[in-house]
Amino acid sequence: MERTKGARLGIALSERLSFLIKSGIFLSICGATLFIALASSYPAVRDTLHKVRHSLAVVPCH
Amino acid sequence: MLLGSPLRAEEINIYFKTSPKVEFLRPYADPAILSLLVTAADGRALERGSVKIRLDAPKSGGFFSTDFPFVEGTRLTELRLPLRQGRANWKYLFPIRGEYNLFVEVESADGKKAGKDFQIKINENGYKWFLLGGFCLGLFLFGFVAGRVFTAIGRKASLVVLITVLALVRNEVSVLEAQEPAKVVGTVRLEIDPATVGKPTRVRWSMDDGGLGAKSMIALTLTITHLEESKVIFAVERVPVAGEFAMTFQFVDGSEHSVVAVAELRGQAPVRTEHRVSVTAVEPPATAAIPAIALFLFVIALGLGTGRWSKLRLAKR
Repeated sequence: MERTKGARLGIALSERLSFLIKSGIFLSICGATLFIALASSYPAVRDTLHKVRHSLAVVPCH
Repeated sequence: MLLGSPLRAEEINIYFKTSPKVEFLRPYADPAILSLLVTAADGRALERGSVKIRLDAPKSGGFFSTDFPFVEGTRLTELRLPLRQGRANWKYLFPIRGEYNLFVEVESADGKKAGKDFQIKINENGYKWFLLGGFCLGLFLFGFVAGRVFTAIGRKASLVVLITVLALVRNEVSVLEAQEPAKVVGTVRLEIDPATVGKPTRVRWSMDDGGLGAKSMIALTLTITHLEESKVIFAVERVPVAGEFAMTFQFVDGSEHSVVAVAELRGQAPVRTEHRVSVTAVEPPATAAIPAIALFLFVIALGLGTGRWSKLRLAKR
């Protein structure tokens, strides 16, 4: 498996570890976005996505 | 559909049905007409008497929440209706999916009592499951593409910098009117206690003694309407009342509702009373959404793994 080289930092990551790190960051951002979209009480988001939450059947709204 | 309940067959039989049939009812779609038929042992309708009705919401389904988690397992309505030719009818809009429990207690004119529980299973709207499936498919494809992008084959991989500006979450508690004042129109009063989602609210209509007279002849029509959705969520029509009608009712949505009472008396013009109710919303805790978010993240992760697998498989060929 090819190794990832962080030339600037002088570190080398295996491709698998690199994938895990990228996926971890990606999932964290997705989780935060979903949380804000579906569970936050921020009025602008809450009102805009009100019907979306109801449409998804498993997302609590009221 | 007729849910029969031969209850102590030698005395009183109670039958319950909905229109449309239970299998066609969906949460927060259209109100159903709920009907009770009470007969004596000989099969003839019980001419005089009353029924006490108690409707409880489905209990929490476990891992996933419904749209209205505060409503789950709570009392929705409790009222007493007089029997007319052995029948009692009312309209109700079921708010969530699941199995409701309807307890009916009949009291005949000669003091005989009988009670029975009915289970009403309301299925979720099919289009909601369809939309949920579509949403999950979209998330899966999103994860699939990301999985392929993140998998480096034959070239130097680099960490992808993902920057997202996230809005700040601000908690805001909606505090609406604390008290709904009694509205008096002439001699008629329509009183509604402060309404909060998740708690039954007392609704009382009454007519003073010195009012329009002939109290026993009053036919009362009471309608509760969700104003934003323009949906009737509860109604009883032309119920004979002796100057007073009271019930407890849970408003499940934190928005404005209208309660309209129309009293009809023989030889008199109908007396209409309307009351606007601002229901205090109770937002579920953010943690209530965690099971759903966990499901969505799982689907994305599945897409990530599948995307990586597909790219590696292609590279090995």
